[in-house]
Amino acid sequence: MTGRKVRLNGRPVVLLDPPLGSGLEAAVHGVEGADELVVKVYHEPDAAREHRLRRMLSLSPLAGRPVGSGQPPELAWPVGLAYTADGTFLGYGMGRYAGPEHVQLTGLFSRDQRLRRFPEKADWRFLLGVCWNLAFMTARLHHEGLVIGDFSAKNVVVDQRGFATFLDCDSIGFTDPVTGEAFPASLHTPDYAAPERLAGAPGSAHSDDFALAVLIYQLLSAGYHPFGGVPRDSEDDVQISDNITASRCFVVRPESVYLPRGVIDPTVLPPAVLELARQTFGPGMRDVTLRPSARQWLEALEQARAAGAVTTCPSRPRHTHSTHLARCPWCDRARLTGHDAFNPPSAPPAPGPDPRLDFPEFPPEWLKVIAVVSAVLLVIMLLASVR
Amino acid sequence: MISGIPKRPPVPPQDLPTQDMPASFNDIEIENNNAQRLPLLLLLDTSSSMAGEPIRLLNEALASWGHEIRDDPALGNSVEIALVTFGGAGIAIWQGPHELAPGAPVSPFVPAQLFQPPRLAACGVTLLTEAVETAIPLVAARKTELRRKGLQYYRPQVCLVTDGLPTDTAGRVTSAWRRLIPVLAAEQQAKRFRFYAFGIGGISEYGQQVLRELAPTYHATLQGFPFRDLLQTMSASAGAEQRGAEEETFEQLFARFKTQRSAWDA
Repeated sequence: MTGRKVRLNGRPVVLLDPPLGSGLEAAVHGVEGADELVVKVYHEPDAAREHRLRRMLSLSPLAGRPVGSGQPPELAWPVGLAYTADGTFLGYGMGRYAGPEHVQLTGLFSRDQRLRRFPEKADWRFLLGVCWNLAFMTARLHHEGLVIGDFSAKNVVVDQRGFATFLDCDSIGFTDPVTGEAFPASLHTPDYAAPERLAGAPGSAHSDDFALAVLIYQLLSAGYHPFGGVPRDSEDDVQISDNITASRCFVVRPESVYLPRGVIDPTVLPPAVLELARQTFGPGMRDVTLRPSARQWLEALEQARAAGAVTTCPSRPRHTHSTHLARCPWCDRARLTGHDAFNPPSAPPAPGPDPRLDFPEFPPEWLKVIAVVSAVLLVIMLLASVR
Repeated sequence: MISGIPKRPPVPPQDLPTQDMPASFNDIEIENNNAQRLPLLLLLDTSSSMAGEPIRLLNEALASWGHEIRDDPALGNSVEIALVTFGGAGIAIWQGPHELAPGAPVSPFVPAQLFQPPRLAACGVTLLTEAVETAIPLVAARKTELRRKGLQYYRPQVCLVTDGLPTDTAGRVTSAWRRLIPVLAAEQQAKRFRFYAFGIGGISEYGQQVLRELAPTYHATLQGFPFRDLLQTMSASAGAEQRGAEEETFEQLFARFKTQRSAWDA
């Protein structure tokens, strides 16, 4: 369906309807005859946004970064301003990073989404690679003096190879290098907002580092938010942002909250990475100077991805983990909860269970079958040896 | 309690695998334990005025919306859906496609990933007041249950959809709904849930007045039976909730929905 005609960089284009998506501030439309492009049309366009975007067009952050062939850019930076035929400002054009090739980070937190939207190899090693890409992007932006501001699992898309692209660049904070004018990052998403942001402070590199820490923690721990859980005996509504404000993080203070079933132990993170998480969600909550930087995360993740640092589980497909763990944490969790974070419920079972482990709470059918078959075999062998 | 719909026995608590629910239920419950939940209760008029085309459209819209919400990476494992219908001879509470027995000690909320709508039929009276009074404790009970499981939740949403006037069990128009006004006002004040009210079809002026008084900010009268738009409104509101939007934003979005529905497409 075709919709209204607008001018993008002075060139007439036709927006497609219905919009690809619509948010609180704007709707994003496809462009007729230009699959690689979208136009973000504000619900309430104003002069301040127009001015900000005009200044953004004069910059090209991360332009110096060499990217591999076919690798998407890390920023969906504006490519032109959109106006009506009579010159009223509407919004801006940018590259199109939409599904099915590009998926919101949220899609990596749930097994259901991961299995449906990502290739077979989207295992923990893949997630570690996504973390590295996020840290790299953040470190580079900070190096160039930019602040992401509204850094969240919804604002970043990941492609099939794990390359990340940050979408809502119009909220990025920057200082115009020519005029010195500051454009602060004012938007935030509560679930990823550092405590000082929830208290009203504008976005900063430190608050980006907090959001990065949360995203890395979620990616590496099967999607569990480090500020999940409810205070014991709570009679009130308690949201993630409440726990952030109160520094109730189970990674640092496990006694502070009651956790849902299935939460994976924080030690699934490689030691150097976990140390940064503890630092961020512990001392770094109150004192931003104690909060690890994106560069530190990048170094720890580099180490975690080094040759020999990740191993493949021999028992079940799609299980990979850091070599600091002697046993596969995903197998352990599957035995304890019945939920395999990487394989569908109907996945063919692997070889028998580790006899050293406790018997699972809810033995799956195949375990029972194996138990019965082994018992029968044992009896036959015993009988044979007696004879 | 809707005539002609077979009843199912109540099912045991949701975090245990049961024969009545899909085998993957326990699995999905654990899977979704990493997401802050968003309970969404649909309060739907299935009285006789909805018979024919309207109820067919409603059934169709529920099915396609179920698919959409499952496919949304951010809403799919966060939203959980419950249905309360008012029609026939009274109120019916649905856990997905199954009607729950009255007083069944189980929650009607189903993860969006597993949501399958019932086949709703339309007949009978419009016990709107009693339906709202049924919905409020269901939402409160779900919140308590989630807290006990160590799970966080966003502010729940309750969405009332009607094309008629509140009646008593004999089908006579009543003013009993007035007793809801202070209750709903208090619940909204305490931010216990968001209450949306939609008048559809040929709802009368009095019918619209009821909705205006029950939901002073979030009421709308829609032409025809745009269930799809309406359900997408609920998804958009859920997205805004996750985004941490201010009240003012919800008001703006709702106002925009009333005038320019395509802006809600998500």
